Amino acid sequence: MPRAIWSGSISFGMVTIPVKMFGATESRDIRFSLLHATCGTKLQQKRWCPTDEVEVPWTDTARGYEFSKGQYVTLTEEDFDRLPLSSKHTIDLSAFVEEREIDPVFYEKSYYLAPGERAEKPYALLLKALEEKKLSATASITIRKKEQLCVLRPLDGTIMLETLFYPDEIRQDRGIDLDKVKVSERELDMAFTLIELLKKPFDPSEYRDHYRDALAQLIESKLEGKQVVSAPATRETGVLDLAEALKRSVEAAKKGGKAKAPARIRARPTRTRRTRKVG
Amino acid sequence: MSEVGELLDQLGEPKARLVLKIGAHDLPVTNLDKVLWPGSGSAGPLTKRDLLRYMVRVSPWLLPHLAGRPLFVTRYPDGVTGKSFYQKHWDNPPAFVRNIAIYSSHTEGDGNYLICENLATLLWLSQMAGLEMHPWFSRVDLKPDARGRSRKFSGSEAALDKSVLNFPDFVVFDLDPYEYSGREGKGEEPELHRRAFNRTRDLALRLRELLGALSLETFVKTSGRTGLHLYLPIVRKFDYDAARSIAETIGRYALRQWPDEVTLEWSVERRTGKIFFDYNQNSRGKSLASIFSPRRHASGTVSMPVDWKQLEDVYPTDFTISTVPDLLDRQGDPWAGILGAKQDLAELLEQRTA
Repeated sequence: MPRAIWSGSISFGMVTIPVKMFGATESRDIRFSLLHATCGTKLQQKRWCPTDEVEVPWTDTARGYEFSKGQYVTLTEEDFDRLPLSSKHTIDLSAFVEEREIDPVFYEKSYYLAPGERAEKPYALLLKALEEKKLSATASITIRKKEQLCVLRPLDGTIMLETLFYPDEIRQDRGIDLDKVKVSERELDMAFTLIELLKKPFDPSEYRDHYRDALAQLIESKLEGKQVVSAPATRETGVLDLAEALKRSVEAAKKGGKAKAPARIRARPTRTRRTRKVG
Repeated sequence: MSEVGELLDQLGEPKARLVLKIGAHDLPVTNLDKVLWPGSGSAGPLTKRDLLRYMVRVSPWLLPHLAGRPLFVTRYPDGVTGKSFYQKHWDNPPAFVRNIAIYSSHTEGDGNYLICENLATLLWLSQMAGLEMHPWFSRVDLKPDARGRSRKFSGSEAALDKSVLNFPDFVVFDLDPYEYSGREGKGEEPELHRRAFNRTRDLALRLRELLGALSLETFVKTSGRTGLHLYLPIVRKFDYDAARSIAETIGRYALRQWPDEVTLEWSVERRTGKIFFDYNQNSRGKSLASIFSPRRHASGTVSMPVDWKQLEDVYPTDFTISTVPDLLDRQGDPWAGILGAKQDLAELLEQRTA
């Protein structure tokens, strides 16, 4: 089993069921790294301030909301912490609904819920009840600081948790207008016949990602043909960064001449030692 | 009998005032039984006589580290619990003191500074309760790695900028824990305690490893108070500005690597809970307490050089005026070779980034 991305408990009425949550799906897309075409080195992303012309460490970053072009209101960690969030560790069941009432457009991402320690019994009970009644439970869960609407439904002996989009996240404007289109009885009959011909039970194992297969094959053949680009001998990247940074700082200091850093005029705040400069 | 043994004999005479014979010089010393350190725990109070004895005994190790360096001194005339003042200029010092005129942008003129190169000067400073010694990181001598640099330190700032005194022997990192024990009074600095020191030590070991990966060897000493001082001896190709820039870059790198441990913040409030990586001492006229320098701590601690291999087994209060002379007799000075271990940072950076 992969590592749980969330753990907590399902809560409804007086009952709480400790559970762990795992992603039910994973993307199998072939991923590419972005290289420098001329030397084959993997590119790094850097946070760059175009005003100060410096690379900015995470510690010097802030989150800003652009309320009008180029104007931001900034929020601190504290601000975020003060926002109301329901408990981070419970899945609060709010109602039981029939699964077909939920249109698939609402489904965002699927997770498996597994029973926590010594919670097999209440877990099995909830699962069985949902199966027998053919019902799903709507609930809310907080994942990574974000409260999400979700639905719990039984599937092959497991309780699934599907996160749902909120209604205002589903686009309403579809730009489709079929009012003036006329469909004749005859045309419809032809369509029915075609459909009948292709009708069969859904078997997901019949389907493959042919594009991915072709891509994998291409990579394989390039490897065999030794059309391989390798980055220049890897050096200890972290330390190399430091060496580069030191060199730049030394060069900057040389260019700066007498421009002194401002810190020298500020004494260590609590020290009695005076720091006036000699020379 | 050696000069050291002779002076210890003289100081053994149970009088409150004496005239010490140091070679050809006479040095009157007074108030020998005045308590300078009140003591703490099992460590009893320490007097000015104890200070003088200490200085006599460590002088063979200490004086080489002070040679050629302008020296500032913190004087504690009423002991370490009383008022102190930081003295830079000396008018009319005794004949055995080496003087040097250095231009000061603060006074916009030349000032008279001292260099402590002999036992007489050291004991003269002790007589004035000048117990904390702050030598510059640069020195007046050109040998062996600053040949061709100017030795004109007076007249103008431009002259001083060009002179050898603008080229430090070390890049220094002052690691100062701002983790409070909870027993400090309002507004007081964090006191020495085990947890904070262990964190500082771990950070020092990481920094050593980091710089070691660049083939740079650093030297470590206890500050004598709560933290650690790391010295990176360099060939004198970089001036103070470059040294400071190097230290700052390493500080920023450390902050990025270990954001939970390191702070570069100026406000004490924002340093709290972390170790302040102070790179700002890399500046002409600034200094850290010298190795073997006594400090302002009730038990008479001194700043002690430590072999990296032993760093995990030591604690700042292991090293006091009472314990250090014997330790030095037994083990010698781990920093004795520091000026022979200079590293050509300019060349090294060329190689590493080529």
